[in-house]
Amino acid sequence: MQGRPYYYRSVRDGDKVRMVYVGAGEKARVSHEEDVLRRTGRKARLEREKEDLERLEALAAPVLEVSEAGEILARAHLVAAGYHKHKGEYRRARRA
Amino acid sequence: MNFREETRDRMAELRALSERAEAGDKEARRKLRLMVRASSAEVVGRASDVGRRAGRVLARSAAGGDPLAEEALCAKLDLMRAEIAGEDPTPLEVLLTERVVSLWMLTTLLEILLAGQYRRDAGDGLKRLSPPYLIQQSRILEGATRRYFAAIRELARVRKLQGERRSR
Repeated sequence: MQGRPYYYRSVRDGDKVRMVYVGAGEKARVSHEEDVLRRTGRKARLEREKEDLERLEALAAPVLEVSEAGEILARAHLVAAGYHKHKGEYRRARRA
Repeated sequence: MNFREETRDRMAELRALSERAEAGDKEARRKLRLMVRASSAEVVGRASDVGRRAGRVLARSAAGGDPLAEEALCAKLDLMRAEIAGEDPTPLEVLLTERVVSLWMLTTLLEILLAGQYRRDAGDGLKRLSPPYLIQQSRILEGATRRYFAAIRELARVRKLQGERRSR
């Protein structure tokens, strides 16, 4: 039970994940710590990026709301004035 | 800075009535006419106010802490508003102008941010961002640009049709 520690690293190979022997003893310990640091760094970066995107979406939200309001009101005005959409263009409805 | 629940409800009603009126419901068209007359000034006022404030917030973000750049961008927004709305705009034109101006500011900000990310990738020592992040940011920019062009088209269309009505 007191044997030297060893370390295997998971390596993606196309669709498969292979375990590759890295080494034993001090080398195993250092490689393991490097991998833990890399994973933690990547996770923190992804978290930061997610927060950045959420901030960006929050900044854009009021503008998109104004845009939707403009679209709805323009349509309401035109339809109320007797226009209707035909093949993407507004036309005045014919009177009977 | 977002719309109040009451404004959202009114817009949902306007949308529903427009759909019914376009489908040929005469009663819906009559109600729509009344509602447009009664509530559009209020909705236009609120929406324009939200747009104006959102434009200022975006200008601050785009300026990146430089007060002079922020001031210049706000002045540019005012200039655009005056130029696009023209003299004596109708309330609807005011809202559609605000829509164009705030979307212009949004696309400009997103372009600045995206260009900054690509420069990071050019190897100036800063850490690269993940491809999913860049893709998502590009999607937000693409959506905003599409809406910006649609807003310009809509304003031109409303002006053309209003012109036709006036000349009748």
